[in-house]
Amino acid sequence: MILFICALFTVAVLFYVFYMPGELLIAPEKTRVAYLRERKDVVYENLRDLNFEYKAGKLPEVDYQSMKASLEEEAASVLAEISRLERITASSPPAERKGMRV
Amino acid sequence: MPRYFLKRVLHLTLLVSLVFILLGTDQDARFQSLGHKVKCICGGCNQVLLECNHVGCTYSSHMRAELAASVDRGESDDLTLQAFVQKYGPTVLIAPTATGFNRVAWVMPYLVLVLGLATVVIVVRTWKMRPAPVPAGALPRVSGTQLEHFREQAQKETET
Amino acid sequence: MPQIGSYALLLALALSGYSFVAGLIALLHDGSERLGETARRAGIATFAAVVLAAVVLVTAAFSDDFSIAYIFHHSNRDLPAPYKFATLWSGQEGSLLFWSLLLASYGLVLRLRHKTDSRLFAHASVIIAAVQVFFLLLLNFAAHPFAIMQGSLPSDGNGLNPLLQYPEMVIHPPMLYLGYVGFTVPFAFALGALIMRYPGEKWIHITRRWTMVTWGFLTCGVFLGAHWAYSVLGWGGYWGWDPVENASLMPWLTGTAFLHSVMMQEKRGMLKVWNMWLIFATFLLSIFGTFLTRSGVVSSVHAFAQSSIGDWFVAFLALTFVVCLVSFIKNRSHLSSEHKLESLVSRESSFLFNNLLLLVACFTVLWGTLFPVLSEWVQGTKVTVGAPFFNRVNVPVALLLLLLTAVGPLLAWRKTSLESLKRNFLWPAIGSLATVVLLIALGLRPWKDSSYLYSLMTIALSVLVALTVISEFIRGGRVISRHTRQNLFASMVHLAHRNTRRYGGYIVHFGVIVIMIGFAGAAFNQDKEQEMGYGDRMALGGYTLVCRSYTQEYKPNYASEWAIIDVFKGGRQIDTLYPERRFYNASQQTSTIVANRSTFKEDLYLVYEGLNQETGRPIIKVHLNPLVMWIWVGVWIMICGTVIALIPNAVPVRVPAPVRVQAAPVGAGD
Repeated sequence: MILFICALFTVAVLFYVFYMPGELLIAPEKTRVAYLRERKDVVYENLRDLNFEYKAGKLPEVDYQSMKASLEEEAASVLAEISRLERITASSPPAERKGMRV
Repeated sequence: MPRYFLKRVLHLTLLVSLVFILLGTDQDARFQSLGHKVKCICGGCNQVLLECNHVGCTYSSHMRAELAASVDRGESDDLTLQAFVQKYGPTVLIAPTATGFNRVAWVMPYLVLVLGLATVVIVVRTWKMRPAPVPAGALPRVSGTQLEHFREQAQKETET
Repeated sequence: MPQIGSYALLLALALSGYSFVAGLIALLHDGSERLGETARRAGIATFAAVVLAAVVLVTAAFSDDFSIAYIFHHSNRDLPAPYKFATLWSGQEGSLLFWSLLLASYGLVLRLRHKTDSRLFAHASVIIAAVQVFFLLLLNFAAHPFAIMQGSLPSDGNGLNPLLQYPEMVIHPPMLYLGYVGFTVPFAFALGALIMRYPGEKWIHITRRWTMVTWGFLTCGVFLGAHWAYSVLGWGGYWGWDPVENASLMPWLTGTAFLHSVMMQEKRGMLKVWNMWLIFATFLLSIFGTFLTRSGVVSSVHAFAQSSIGDWFVAFLALTFVVCLVSFIKNRSHLSSEHKLESLVSRESSFLFNNLLLLVACFTVLWGTLFPVLSEWVQGTKVTVGAPFFNRVNVPVALLLLLLTAVGPLLAWRKTSLESLKRNFLWPAIGSLATVVLLIALGLRPWKDSSYLYSLMTIALSVLVALTVISEFIRGGRVISRHTRQNLFASMVHLAHRNTRRYGGYIVHFGVIVIMIGFAGAAFNQDKEQEMGYGDRMALGGYTLVCRSYTQEYKPNYASEWAIIDVFKGGRQIDTLYPERRFYNASQQTSTIVANRSTFKEDLYLVYEGLNQETGRPIIKVHLNPLVMWIWVGVWIMICGTVIALIPNAVPVRVPAPVRVQAAPVGAGD
């Protein structure tokens, strides 16, 4: 009885681990654009935070303007890079999408 | 002059009783302070003797009586603690003493605090001084109309 | 049955071993997706196998199978059902199995969610498999939970330690373990991200959530332990700086430090090296804590029986440290900072000081815990490092931390002008000073004793923190209400929902100060002990206690003695309390059931100390502990804050329409 339970369990487990019919569904590898979007989100969040802290009265006007300018510049460079990469992709056929390593 | 005499007696009694009260509180204070310097040896509970309340502790009442007796005899703090160490071993003292190697126990945390503080201050200052770091894989800088365009976009998208 | 358990453990070891090896090979060689997938599935299957082993052990406990040594030592026939379930974690071997089970569960969740970021999750999965292999090796070869009893079969077991027969004991260990074990996940992510040179900071975003969950569990676990000590051990206190308590506090402190400094990395790309090592340290400390509890290196009330598994832990700790160090040295160029610090008066630098203080506190705890060992090694004699040491060093550190908690939220990122700081700090400071004046007027005499001074400072700083937190909410709420024309309260709710992490964090801070006020009450504890016959009275701090009766009772699991005490205040009866003492048959041990009348002002805490053998009358000890309830309330607030911080923000970051993108490789090193 015990032997039977053990054997059954083992077979079930091995079947689960190794039985993979058909194609594997694999997520595409993270691209540079995806990474840049994450970065954009962070910069945007910082900008929103800055605006908010300014409105809440934690920053003097001068500091606010200079920090805002530097953050916007950072955001702009990220946005520029994203749009550049997207333009490149749009002009080439999207064939590479599948089959990337997990 | 019995009245005058009576008054003096009264004064004297007052004075004597005052001295006794003072002495009494002094002894009590000593008992309290010494009782917080030794631990109950009941095994594992690691409690200060006067705070060992754990149920069924057979040691604490006994040790308290010993401490009280020693204080009553007027023995000095050192002598009392010495006697405890003699009887129960050095682990009876609840915290490391300020002598010899044991001093290290007390010094280290403060040393770490001071060193840490110094490090943080130095780090902050050097970070302030150093030029803005350029992370690897940095983005190309944009300029001109492109910059203005994207900047406007960012501004618009982050307005709350 | 035990054979199935043993087999399940072996199978689990094989599966996690495979998951580790195959996963590693798949990561090293491109184009072996199938192998990687089998590794992931083997990890999931490990969970099934470990669950099977745990089920076998619990079933054995319920069916009183005393042929298994572990069940014999930790259970008995008359044990109530919930405690039979708790047998799983009440001894050395079982709790290691439980640890392994929780790790497998965390691993399961992680492996099922692998699509979030497949490559990062594959790395984390391999690292978790490695940790799992260690624990399964221990279970199979050093502390086998299914070891069979030698000789004739005993008719009944030794029973569960009566101190553990308390409802909270059924949830305290799982919470604590969830906390301990959970730190494996952030560790796995961090190490994985370091090894794969993960581009960007998204990984830390994922890690931070796991850390918050884990940290929440650990907080619960630590305070449940404190509450258990308070309500069961009957010494009127909740924290004794015992090595095992310290062991749970250390990863909590570094974890707290990480939860703060991680914001620097997420928002500003700074402190990458530091954060990496904070996670490493937190994981190592949680393993180290387990080692302390189980090796008998330091003496403690909680310690499990001494055993040889200490060596295993030392080896594992050393190996983990080496792996961390090597990966760090190899990839440290990846961890360069992206921004510089602009001002000393900024949120950034407040986080630096916060981290420093938390780590000093952690170091003190570690140092104090290990000093007896060090002393024996250096000067040949063991010394005691007890509560006075920890209090003297850590109380000032805690006060500084409180001050920082008050100031920190008022600082803006990057730079804050002293002007605005002064303006925002004015009212909280006035409120705090007013509290000091009020308390002194009410009779608190801080110059009489250092503990009074400390408790006054604690309360004053707590008020300061509370007021800054409230002012932050109001200030933020005003901005929103100007914008949306909602009322202030609705705006504050809206505000919290927009940035759950920040405002949830403030609520956690609020919980912390409520706890701190509870701690401050300890300076004014009183106690009194007296023999109480029929009708005897005892007075303490405005209460008068009258013994109505006392009696004895026999139950299958234990025999008990208890007293009925009427409580009077101001000449009026307000309550009746039943302090009790039990003698457990199976383990031949006694334990107390404390009778506690808890109010916001103070706890009236009665302990039945025992019968006076000569007079036959019970001895009752009474503690009057002010403000203890604040601690438990504060914990609830902390938990609520943590849950709020875990809720996703209301305003989602606008996701641009997905565009098909060529899989251009991410620039090296960014």
